[in-house]
Amino acid sequence: MRYLFYLLVSLFIFGCSPNFLSSQERPDQLSFPPLDFSFPEVAEQQLQNGMKLYLKEDNELPLVELTVLVEGGSLYDSPDKTGLSQFFATTLSTGGSENLSPAELEAELEAMAAILTVSSSSYAYEIDLSLQRKDLERGIEILADLLRRPRFDAERMELVRNQMFEGIHRQNDNPGSIAGRILSEAVYQSHPFGAYPTVAGVAGFSREDLLEIHSRYFKPQNLWLAVSGDVHQGELVRLLEQQFGDWQSSESFLREMPLEPPAPQGRIYLVDKDIPQTTILMGHPGINKDNPDLYALQVANYILGGGGFNSRMMREVRSNRGLAYSVYSYFQVGRQLPELFIAKSETKSNSTVEVVSLMQQLINQMRDEPVTVAELDLAKKSLINSFVFAFSDSHSVVSRKVRLDYYDYPENYLEHYQQQIAAVSIADVQRVAQQYLHPDKLQIVLVGDSDRYIDAVSSLGLPVEKVDLSLE
Amino acid sequence: MSRLFIIALFAFLWITPETILAQTLADKVQEYKLDNGATVLLVERHASPTVAAYISFRVGGVNETSQERGVAHLLEHMLFKGTKTLGTKNYAVEKKLLQQIKTIGKEIDALKFRADTDPQRLQQLQESLAQVQAEHRKLVVKNEFSRIYGENGGVGYNAYTSKDATTYLINLPANKLELWAAIESDRLQNAVFREFYTERDVVHEERRRSYESSPDGMMYETLLATAYKVHPYRNPIIGWNSDIDSLDPDQIREFFDKYYTPVNMVITLVGDFESEATLEMVKRYFGKLKPGVPVPPVVDREPEQNGERRVTINFDAEPQLMIAYHKPTMPHRDDYAFDLLMQVLSEGRTSRFYQSLVVDKQLVTDVNVFGAPGSRYDNLMVVSLTPRNGRSSAEVEAAVYAELERFRSELLSPGELEVARNQILTSILRSLKGNSGLARMLSSYQTLGDWHYLVEYEDQLNSITPEDIMAVAKRYLQADNRTVVTLMREEQN
Repeated sequence: MRYLFYLLVSLFIFGCSPNFLSSQERPDQLSFPPLDFSFPEVAEQQLQNGMKLYLKEDNELPLVELTVLVEGGSLYDSPDKTGLSQFFATTLSTGGSENLSPAELEAELEAMAAILTVSSSSYAYEIDLSLQRKDLERGIEILADLLRRPRFDAERMELVRNQMFEGIHRQNDNPGSIAGRILSEAVYQSHPFGAYPTVAGVAGFSREDLLEIHSRYFKPQNLWLAVSGDVHQGELVRLLEQQFGDWQSSESFLREMPLEPPAPQGRIYLVDKDIPQTTILMGHPGINKDNPDLYALQVANYILGGGGFNSRMMREVRSNRGLAYSVYSYFQVGRQLPELFIAKSETKSNSTVEVVSLMQQLINQMRDEPVTVAELDLAKKSLINSFVFAFSDSHSVVSRKVRLDYYDYPENYLEHYQQQIAAVSIADVQRVAQQYLHPDKLQIVLVGDSDRYIDAVSSLGLPVEKVDLSLE
Repeated sequence: MSRLFIIALFAFLWITPETILAQTLADKVQEYKLDNGATVLLVERHASPTVAAYISFRVGGVNETSQERGVAHLLEHMLFKGTKTLGTKNYAVEKKLLQQIKTIGKEIDALKFRADTDPQRLQQLQESLAQVQAEHRKLVVKNEFSRIYGENGGVGYNAYTSKDATTYLINLPANKLELWAAIESDRLQNAVFREFYTERDVVHEERRRSYESSPDGMMYETLLATAYKVHPYRNPIIGWNSDIDSLDPDQIREFFDKYYTPVNMVITLVGDFESEATLEMVKRYFGKLKPGVPVPPVVDREPEQNGERRVTINFDAEPQLMIAYHKPTMPHRDDYAFDLLMQVLSEGRTSRFYQSLVVDKQLVTDVNVFGAPGSRYDNLMVVSLTPRNGRSSAEVEAAVYAELERFRSELLSPGELEVARNQILTSILRSLKGNSGLARMLSSYQTLGDWHYLVEYEDQLNSITPEDIMAVAKRYLQADNRTVVTLMREEQN
């Protein structure tokens, strides 16, 4: 239909010189062979002690990548100990093990050119280790020593504490990070999702806190291991059994997830910073991965602000008006609890209110009007045809598989993904836009030279609150 | 470009003796020269049904004259605006409007910063520009390249302009490779620079975002403009504000016609295809382009720095510090010594800077060392530091200089050298993993020189001795060769 239209247009324009524009000269009129794709196989095995292992063998390069997911994470930090999980993760990775002092551990890993990182997210700790194949045996030995018998060296612990103090001290350097913090605090209030470490809280972290996290979460049955690279399953299992086999499972803990507060009414937060461009960040509560409308929302968001240059936000704010370099929206799909719908842009001080109201209008339009056939078609084709890139790297294949199981995604989630997207209709898009986009609930954070737009902001018709960063 | 990346460009064939990867890759990379001078690099990889497609031109910010600074980058933006057939409902009608837009736009540019301009006349012109732009917009089919690539499953459709080169990239499902050839060859022959003045505003927003509102960007820009006085590496790729304000569509066209030609072009494809057929396809689509002339080399040479330079920037952020030393670029022998020196200095937690500044003295929370801002001409070793609250820049600087002094007074141990080599090597291995990473590396290296030169890199690096490293430290890491930039709030200054 769309192609026919173009053909007519070109005949109309160049009707007298048909050779100038034959239909073949449009690249989108090429035809292509079907794509030969099959889902890559991932080997799965559970060790005797309950550790779960996933392996994607890949022999192209003499490297092995390991990712360990451990249940736990920042959602379980108590309100007076916000940031403890981050403190734990960094101290775990830098604080040495029973057999190796911090300096010995670093020296040995770096002599092997290995890279070890530990991070904390909402629901898990993640340990990543990248090694040359020849160092795999020693690497796993060190990893086991670290995971089972961390040292949490006192000096290194203080170093981490000082680094966290410095992070707090610098939390207002960049407009983007200020905006993110103010938005989370506005939406989540005292919930862990809206909590940021404080000097007093960080000062109170103790070694006992670290040991307690370790003993509560680090147990074989809570470990999910994703491995890719140049290693056979038999060899890997043998090495793991050697190092982890005598680590026995103990009683599991019950996870209590703190409930999120109800969505607050819409409000504008003005944060003053002496810069020539305003960071605009808006958001409200969204969905989690168990929501059956996930697929329709992905299509809707592609059209609204997720599809790059194919999105309405990019077209209207950047391409048509030159008001921003970057503008987008997305749903942070919560693994368990719902997370945020977010839209973001940056524009010069004087056009702040114009961009905010354009973004609001575009969000409203998704609710008020059906999208076009062409928009729906493009969004679906793009999501479906780019799906193959989810499998282009062997470590992302295996670590994704682990995450899907760890977070309890439906069986065959990936296998059904393309069909689910294909089934989304125009009516679905409008229905989910009405159900999950709430312009009246948007918390809108503006970080910039607020004197330049403080008067104009009142035209947006929302309560306005000034945030004084020096009072934090 | 980070130092690691530069090393990677040179060294991806240099792999430990126990692997045969070097040879495997050398066998895998196929190089062809089309009759019109275009270079084509192909690597077949069948692990996943995808292809990374890169086109690079040997032209970047460094090749601009003072009348056209920012043109390479703005051209890169304008090349996303379509062709005579893509992005338009009626090119014949559109063409006249584009001419009108250009005429009015140039008149506005000539008047807008003059003290004696009649404000009414200016307003009149701005209104009529807006009117013609609105009329023109009705004929535009927005972002058609992006739509077509999107529908066909393309990801990472993008471009980047560096000091030395400009690159256009896309990743496609393997069955869609011909779509890339059709679109990209069309845009090289039939590009239409529509919506110019709107895009110029976008670039202003990009500049505000990346430099004027970002402490890091602001420091980096100031550092280059201070360390270089003569060489065009001093200018920001995006241009200064007054540069962006004055660029016009004719300059874009001229730069494009002059330099975006096969003799300056490197096509790199990595992924799931059959080489012979792919080369034929590339010839079919790109072979008809006219060769063009090579980009002339930059003649400016930076005079030797004869004294320390210091700048302070007032910015609403906590203090930061950058220290830079001039050094030679590849393929100068001293550049290999710097690769090793920088590795020992700052890579990893056992590195000298991390141990001394972060762990022992606890003066900074973060320290990075990298080569910048390009690799075609002599460049800088840059040390970037985040001081801890309450620590003065003077204390931090003194500790940095003490560490650098060690290179001048003590020979590196063979063990340290060995670890540094192993780390460089392994990081190169890691960077080979994705199709896109490999394509980017080959493409960049080839635009900087000739990728066959890589073969000699291993020997060069292995030939660097502790004495060589001491010699470069003595020669370049001197106070009168350095530039120091500090950033802080006005009241702290």
